[in-house]
Amino acid sequence: MGQFIISVGREYGSGGHEIASILSERFNIPMYDRNMLDQMAEKNGIDSEELHKHEEMKHQGLHRTVRGHSSSVQDTIAQLQFDFIREKAASGESFVVVGRCAENVLRDNPALISIFVRGDEAAKTERICRLYKLNKLEAKAKMFRHDKKRKAYHNYYSKMKWGDSRGYDFCVNSSLMGVEATAEALYKMISEFLKSKEK
Amino acid sequence: MLAEIFAVLIFVTMFGFIVWDRFPKHYVTLGCGALTSIFVFGIGMHSVKAFVDTIAVGGIFKKDFWYAASEASEQTSGVNWATIIFLWGMMIMVEGMAEAGFFDWLCLKIAKLAHYEPVRIFVAFMVLSSVLAMFIDSITVILFLAAVTIRLARTLKFNPVPVIMAEIFCANLGGSATMCGDPPNIIIGTSLGYSFSDFVLNTGAIGAVSLVIIIIYFYFTMRNRLQDPADKVDSSTIDVEIRIDNMKEFLTSTIIFLIAVALLVTHAMTGLTVAFIGVFIAAITLITAGRKAITLLKRVDYPTLLFFIGLFIVVGGLEQTGILEIIAEFIAKVSGGNAFVMIAIILWVSAIASAFIDNIPFSATMIPVIRTLAATTGVDLSTMAWTLAIGTDIGGSMTPIGASANVVGISTAGKEGYPISWGTYCKELVPGTIIVLVVSMISIYIRYL
Repeated sequence: MGQFIISVGREYGSGGHEIASILSERFNIPMYDRNMLDQMAEKNGIDSEELHKHEEMKHQGLHRTVRGHSSSVQDTIAQLQFDFIREKAASGESFVVVGRCAENVLRDNPALISIFVRGDEAAKTERICRLYKLNKLEAKAKMFRHDKKRKAYHNYYSKMKWGDSRGYDFCVNSSLMGVEATAEALYKMISEFLKSKEK
Repeated sequence: MLAEIFAVLIFVTMFGFIVWDRFPKHYVTLGCGALTSIFVFGIGMHSVKAFVDTIAVGGIFKKDFWYAASEASEQTSGVNWATIIFLWGMMIMVEGMAEAGFFDWLCLKIAKLAHYEPVRIFVAFMVLSSVLAMFIDSITVILFLAAVTIRLARTLKFNPVPVIMAEIFCANLGGSATMCGDPPNIIIGTSLGYSFSDFVLNTGAIGAVSLVIIIIYFYFTMRNRLQDPADKVDSSTIDVEIRIDNMKEFLTSTIIFLIAVALLVTHAMTGLTVAFIGVFIAAITLITAGRKAITLLKRVDYPTLLFFIGLFIVVGGLEQTGILEIIAEFIAKVSGGNAFVMIAIILWVSAIASAFIDNIPFSATMIPVIRTLAATTGVDLSTMAWTLAIGTDIGGSMTPIGASANVVGISTAGKEGYPISWGTYCKELVPGTIIVLVVSMISIYIRYL
């Protein structure tokens, strides 16, 4: 099988990350998410949390750009991750990548299969309550906060808008069939697609 | 009145867009420059002369633009072509030096001389950063120094963040010492007719005192955070390659650099203006570069030069409409004509403003203001000029966005996986900036007032 890269954009609480994880297991390929920065943190002997707290975030507060250099930590970390994704893609490796505007970074790459996972508000709230032991109000607040941040980040660095179906190959509502069944359906569809591509 | 309102509105809008940082800065200043030409000079003033005076192209064709035998040349208002041409020439020279590997060689050579000892490298790179920034733009200095620092940090297992921050600070400090060290100084020098040696003897002397103090300060506050004793690497095992790929190119670029320094140091005696020096240095760099000349020309940072042109037109609008005189009158009134208060206002307002907004438009705006202040209050113009230069150059060190060197240093560190946040940056460099500003203020008070 030739190279294929699956990018998974997701709403908070939709189970997009879990779907990406299942796809990674089923295809037996690595998955890159926040672990992208761990390698770099280890290499430089710094706390990876230092990097993680600025990732998937649009720059905040006052910042300045000089000859393509930005003073914003968020900008720098975003670019670090985009470079990481580009390098992995250029190496010929097949992988799953979660978020990080990957579908925009690799938009001209023929190996890319882009997915966006959304969910019904009630189902997402229920999932967040269960996973993080929160009440509904707290879960909703967390969901809105994270989605707002992801949307701002994505729309700042990408050509297409976050969640706009025109920017993805597959857009799916995980609440209809549940996270696992959705992942399975996506696995089948992608497998079919890859087979047809090989012919 | 209409012209004044337009001038202020356009100026404020320009600053707003620069701070917002959403659009390239040269688009902003050129756009605002065009608006100034139409609304201020055209609709507001109905004055072709004001427009022509501001564009000031005619001055380039005068002999004293290139050669000022009798006294230092002075440009009173409008687009400061001497600054733009000089910067263009120096950019070409620096590109030639970078192409020849001069900066990498110099940084690594100094690290070797420091026996690859992190604390010694830390101190040596602070001095190197200051000295290089006296003659070369601080962006280039930090670009190379920060990259080499990170390379050495990985080999020698030390923390590059404090070193890079100290380098940034020292580059800004070194830039304040000479006329060509930082763009505000070139603008101040060419606008008010000061020479390279005038700067060295005044801002340079204050900068030298400040550098000694700041090295001591950084040494004591940062040395323990440089390296964990357990990470210490035996320097005899270090093998960092210091190689020059093309010796001819390297020697040529070094000689051109030394010629540039010699011409700048002696320009008050020779009568050669900075515009002439810029063109001359660019010409010999391009001639000796041969086939690479086109590449060097392409690498020049034209957006910055265009940014300057637009900026000077907008500031010209404020100047022609008399707005800057009103600001000068306000400062004179607030200070009650007291030179001590006036110097303190210029120094601290310049420093704080430069910490958040680009110091180039700020200094370009302030030059006509201090000129008016000198004429109306009798306070020596040169004292205010040195104060303005120090305030704008040093104040820029205070925040990550205050000066170009800060942005480039932070970005270089971040790209290599060493993020520097606002908090980290300010915690290290705000106290240092305040120390240098206080030292400078005391020095100015003792020496000039």
